[in-house]
Amino acid sequence: MAVSVETLPTLVSDEVLIARRRERRIGFVVFTGLAVLAFVVPHEVPSWMDTGIQRWAQDRYRWSILNRESALIFRWFFNPVTDALNWSVEHAESWLLALRWPGVVAVTAAVGWRTGGVRAAIIGAAAMGGVGVIADWDLAMRTLAIMLVAVLIALLLGVPLGILAAQSDRFERVLRVVLDTAQVMPVFVYFSPLQVAFALKFAPAVMATVIYALPPAVRLTNLGLRQVPVVATEVAESFGSTKLQRLFKVQLPMARRSILLGLNQVIMMAFAIVVLAALLGTGDLGQEVLKAIQKTEVGTAFAAGMGVVLLAVALDRVTTGERPAHRLRLLNWLPRVPFRVAGAIAVGGAVATVIAARVFEWQQFPSWLTIDIAPTIDGWFDWAKNNVRKGVPVIGGTQAISDFLTTWVLDPLRDFLWWLPWLVVVVGLAFVGWLSKGWRLALTVTVCMVLIGTMGSIPGGGGRVTLWDLAMDTLSQVLVAIVLSVLIALPLGILAGRSDLVERLLRPFLDIAQVLPQFVYLIPVVFLFSIGRAAGVAACVVYAVPPCIRLTALGMREVAMPPREAAISFGATGRQEMRFVQLPLARKAILLGINQTLMMVLATVIIAALVGAGSLGLVAYEATAKPNVKLGQGVAGGLSIVLLAIMLDRITQAWGTSPDTDRRT
Amino acid sequence: MISVRDLWKVYGPRANRIVGSPEADLPRGELQQRFGNVVAMRDVNLDVAPGEVFVVMGLSGSGKSTLIRCITRLIEPTSGQVIVEGDDVTAASAAELLQIRRHKVSMVFQHFGLLPHRTLLDNVAFGLELRGMNRTARRERAAQTLELVGLPGMGDYKPHQLSGGQQQRVGLARALATDPDIMLFDEPFSALDPLIRREMQDEIVRLRREVRKTMMFITHDLSEALRLGDRIAIMRDGRFVQVGTPTEVVLEPADEYVANFVRDVPRSHVVPVDAVMAPPADGPYAGEVLAGTKVRDAVALVAHSDLPVRVVRDGRTVGTLDRVGVLSVIAAEEL
Repeated sequence: MAVSVETLPTLVSDEVLIARRRERRIGFVVFTGLAVLAFVVPHEVPSWMDTGIQRWAQDRYRWSILNRESALIFRWFFNPVTDALNWSVEHAESWLLALRWPGVVAVTAAVGWRTGGVRAAIIGAAAMGGVGVIADWDLAMRTLAIMLVAVLIALLLGVPLGILAAQSDRFERVLRVVLDTAQVMPVFVYFSPLQVAFALKFAPAVMATVIYALPPAVRLTNLGLRQVPVVATEVAESFGSTKLQRLFKVQLPMARRSILLGLNQVIMMAFAIVVLAALLGTGDLGQEVLKAIQKTEVGTAFAAGMGVVLLAVALDRVTTGERPAHRLRLLNWLPRVPFRVAGAIAVGGAVATVIAARVFEWQQFPSWLTIDIAPTIDGWFDWAKNNVRKGVPVIGGTQAISDFLTTWVLDPLRDFLWWLPWLVVVVGLAFVGWLSKGWRLALTVTVCMVLIGTMGSIPGGGGRVTLWDLAMDTLSQVLVAIVLSVLIALPLGILAGRSDLVERLLRPFLDIAQVLPQFVYLIPVVFLFSIGRAAGVAACVVYAVPPCIRLTALGMREVAMPPREAAISFGATGRQEMRFVQLPLARKAILLGINQTLMMVLATVIIAALVGAGSLGLVAYEATAKPNVKLGQGVAGGLSIVLLAIMLDRITQAWGTSPDTDRRT
Repeated sequence: MISVRDLWKVYGPRANRIVGSPEADLPRGELQQRFGNVVAMRDVNLDVAPGEVFVVMGLSGSGKSTLIRCITRLIEPTSGQVIVEGDDVTAASAAELLQIRRHKVSMVFQHFGLLPHRTLLDNVAFGLELRGMNRTARRERAAQTLELVGLPGMGDYKPHQLSGGQQQRVGLARALATDPDIMLFDEPFSALDPLIRREMQDEIVRLRREVRKTMMFITHDLSEALRLGDRIAIMRDGRFVQVGTPTEVVLEPADEYVANFVRDVPRSHVVPVDAVMAPPADGPYAGEVLAGTKVRDAVALVAHSDLPVRVVRDGRTVGTLDRVGVLSVIAAEEL
């Protein structure tokens, strides 16, 4: 098991190269022919292609309403799960409320003290206290309760799955496909099916959060276990450990850091989603944010949003568990608190506050401590309307940018995609797929796109709009947003990958950006760009640029030193070294970074429906509000999003992997 | 103690059909291309006597690591038989294999293989813990073993706080703690710098005297093999090309390959005085050396006097050594 020579590389011979060249020529001819043909056939998606999926889904929903008490799947599975989830959230909420705010803050501090020392305790407690100051404490506790239940479930499912994946390559492969798909699916997509399955109260929101937060738990458990050095497992085996002994005494302890990192990411993912899951009617802080965004009440949205962000910061700090290296010297002298002491303090403190709260009849959060920042923010907003949106010399303000983007970029691109016969688009994308990786990908792309064509149409724009047309609208937004993001992020990332100074300057921004949940970006965007498709694109760019910078810089920095040094020793200038060595070697990593950026852009384009970007996102999201009429449309919209996502993901992923190794498969 | 019979390890599809077939003798690249197989070890036979130190020497890729891992089936051999203290390892059930690994054989690893999340004490006690020994007993035993390898009282340290040499002492202690009859060493010192390596080799020599164990030792370092081995097996392309005492290997290399290997070894370092002594004569003598002493270590004695030196075995004089004998060995080195 130490050495694996099971798969052996083969040489690429001349014949293969010649064959490849011929294949290339055939490909060009085939695709040109197909494109010409595609111009001849109907320009619109023909109506006979409608598979009736919308009606089918709507019927499922009606059936689920009628049979919720009688059908076996509900009685024995979905209903008990729904009840259990609701029970858990309600109890978690009532415990948090019983603790009152001093108790919650104290528990946060105790956990932080244990995991990350005094610093984490202070930051965690301050952030948690800040939630009460800025936002509605009761609503925040409901958000926290939903979060905690979802995170717990994600771990209970994710860690064992990760362990299984680490044991078996085959299981890992299957799981990876599932997780990849789950992760490229923008959130709204889950909502409608979850509503069918778990109709009531918190359950669908919890499940949506779990689905979204599960992947990092699985991935990082798997990764941590697989990164345990071979020699450690060999040692365990050579001294005669059973499989379980090996797992519990060697592998899991050695993977601990990775698993804890997974916990941290699970929490961050859960935060990204918990606000959006509020669309399913949780009545928590998230719903407050969404309602306010839709009504462009920027101040209220900002206050509630800040509450969620502070909650995220608090949990992030106390679960990161990493003691920063540049800690104050003084703090080094403070002993790390043993688990028992921290636990005793936490439990004791909790009991004490619960009793005190009863005796003195404390409020949930003292009103004299709260600050209503909404009016102030609204004041800024009004100012910005007159001084940033317009009235800026030369560029004219953000409104002008927004108008320009809509009129001269988004509209023409969308109209072009609409003008093209739909099969030409299919063939064109398939061609891109073929160029990127080969026939198989071309086929995948074709299947995805044709399936979008079978999704039917929905009422809109005074007649009926096909989901194909909506998908083209979404696609145009995605393309514009990704191009803008890459144009901004790539130079910065390359710079940060070469200059320590630039990296140090950018780092704080990138770190903060990583913690902020997606929806947070919608607030400043509304602030600056009002609502509409340009605002949506702006939100995507703001959201996608930091990770793109980070991944590019990382790719640049991961290039090994020896070849770079060799280039310099031969007298390459810095620029030459970058052009001939570092950039080519970092190319794949950077392209994979762009792939991830694209997925983020797509996810945000869908969410941007909340700020008036319309298109597929709107279809998926409206269904959650009126499932009894629009659920079928929502499912069709959601499926279209998924298909679009898979198509875009596969193509860009292919850029990051070498065509030589993958063509053959 | 350890018997290995016709042991093969072939990687790739349908490995069994390659074993013993003419295809196994194809050049490496051709076999790989045509069948997708790689022969890591072919037809290895060996016997290690109780208390013997058997060194397997070869360059990287020669199959020596595969061989040592097959002894306890960390790597599953493709065919052949391994017998350890009368137990057929290759036929053992999973449960029997665990017992063999827990009680009879222990291993020291190339990169130490210490478990970073455990203290030294818990690292050393690892094998005992797997056996199910209770906490106090195993920690006590582990502390004693740490003392034996020269790290007394360091039980509460974590591995990363130690130097490489110290870490491997812990690796050694861990292998000793289970008190196995057989110890396997997989290039244990190759990651250490030369001075420390030397020190650790002395440690092995010392331990050998104090705790009599059967040892199988893998190395790619010829001088290490010559210092430690009672017998040395030279491995190349997965097969043994020569098995013999250090003297035999150096003086009578089986083929060109081995000859190239040992060319730079000073003869006087491996030739015992017995090989060049004259028949016993009546004194006077300048002094005496024990039979089996390497010529190098007798040079000073012979050089300082015109008189010959007596060679003694079990208290009896078995021969005499003079300058001619010594010089004949040293002169041969120059060729």
